[in-house]
Amino acid sequence: MAAVIETVDLKKNFGEHEAVRGLNLSVQAGSVCAFLGRNGAGKTSTIKMLLGMVHPSSGTGSIFGHKIDNEKESLLIRQKVAFVAEDKRLYDGMTVEQIVRFTKSFFPRWNDGFERRLMEQFELPPERSIRQLSKGTRTKLALLLGFARGCELLILDEPTEGLDPGAIEDVLQIVVSLVAEGTTVFFSSHQIAEVEQIADHVLMIDRGQLVLDAPMDQITEQYRRIQAVFPGPVEERDFRIAGIENVRAEGKTVSLIASHNVDSIVEHVRMLHAGSIDVVPLTLKEIFLGKMKARS
Amino acid sequence: MSMLLYKAWIETRVRFLAGLAGVAIITAWDLQHPRFNSMWKFLGIHDYGYYLWHSLYDESLQQIWAVCAVVLAFGGLIHEKTSGTVSFSLGLPVSRRRWLFTRLATVLMESIAIGLFAVLVIIVGSAAMQQTVSLSQVLLHTALMVAAGVFMIAVGNLCYALFPGNYLSLLYTIILLGVPYAWIQLQMQRMRIYEAFCAAHSCGKPSGFVSWAAYLTYLDIPHAMGGPWQLNWATIPWISLLVIWTLTALVLGVTVAYGDRSDY
Repeated sequence: MAAVIETVDLKKNFGEHEAVRGLNLSVQAGSVCAFLGRNGAGKTSTIKMLLGMVHPSSGTGSIFGHKIDNEKESLLIRQKVAFVAEDKRLYDGMTVEQIVRFTKSFFPRWNDGFERRLMEQFELPPERSIRQLSKGTRTKLALLLGFARGCELLILDEPTEGLDPGAIEDVLQIVVSLVAEGTTVFFSSHQIAEVEQIADHVLMIDRGQLVLDAPMDQITEQYRRIQAVFPGPVEERDFRIAGIENVRAEGKTVSLIASHNVDSIVEHVRMLHAGSIDVVPLTLKEIFLGKMKARS
Repeated sequence: MSMLLYKAWIETRVRFLAGLAGVAIITAWDLQHPRFNSMWKFLGIHDYGYYLWHSLYDESLQQIWAVCAVVLAFGGLIHEKTSGTVSFSLGLPVSRRRWLFTRLATVLMESIAIGLFAVLVIIVGSAAMQQTVSLSQVLLHTALMVAAGVFMIAVGNLCYALFPGNYLSLLYTIILLGVPYAWIQLQMQRMRIYEAFCAAHSCGKPSGFVSWAAYLTYLDIPHAMGGPWQLNWATIPWISLLVIWTLTALVLGVTVAYGDRSDY
């Protein structure tokens, strides 16, 4: 599969603050790639750099082979990419119908049928001013304006924020259907349950650096929590072995998060005379929290 | 392009309509104002056309038009950053420069429309007062006011980019542009009236008065917008216009460079 998004050593500084620190990421065509991280981890800055809204301090990046830091190529990128921003703010002076007509004029591949379907499904009032829409309805409208563009790549920043559970399910189904038609999806979210539901690749960022880049299958198959009880107290330094991401030792009990090499780690724990060893699969949320704890 | 103009129109239409109302009120007020029968006759001015030019194009209409132009120019991507819509705008396949110039084109068209609306009020109002007015002169003065006034639009637009914020940036810009504009206009008009009075009554000028005021003439955008009373091809202040357009181009260049470098 070809890479749709690629960045090489991408950096962004806002004054003294390093928002993005040498990011190397790659998103494959046809994938649903989740972009996870804490608040302020650098997700939105990265997305804005990809779309030419923020200039990189150094490093390079490309979408569909077009350079992100070149204004002309950035225009070509935005013809092929539908972006739904985190805050979902739209022009208050327009009505729903007017902003649909406005957005449609920039995208020759606009899907009219899909637009009508989503207008009905999301129950959007065409004549109502955007100023009068609730947060949820504005989010639905912003998503419609992204989905109906007929673009090859969807970049969504917190797409379901402010939606009720029913609407979230609808949105996730729509994303899945778009992927089935060949669209690549790159989305950031704090809703890890949604990520587990639709993502096939996960990128995790912390303090501007990539801390996880793996297919979802690999994560669910390889990541394990190993809990062991020892006859005497143990220390974290006893567990410096390849594959261990996080160690939490409390007296005679130790809890390890392993990303790979699980068999060797278990063997190592046995050699330390552990009385009982439990190996359990991890949820993405646990992996996320483990990574964040390990780094802080 | 048309949809970008449409967006700019939707954003500025209330200000534009307010501008039309303001211009109508100011123009109508000046047309029927008794000044023509008192102050101007004291200065030996008996020509209604001269009064119209001085009272409107060299003073109040020009002032209200300049305020309208600066207020209409309020907006842009920096302002959208504050209101939160910039991510949507820059997510569209439209360059930053196209956003800027489409908005400025809309502002210019609206400013021209406001100027032409004033012409309509002058023609109708003068006819109602049984006064005759030269349509060609009024149109030429409107064209000069807009041609020189583009500088105000460009500087206002730059101010909005440099002072990001909501309506506070509008207030800063109006103060920053309005105070020197009004002060220079007042000083230069005083000087011209004083000179006219001295010429009529053969009195001397205090030393130093003209020398410092002479420097102000280089900054006298209001006078360039007003032009001389009888405007024709030969009396159009071409050099002033050339300087103003060059400065306008420079200001726009700075705005473009600043906009290109900005992070949203």
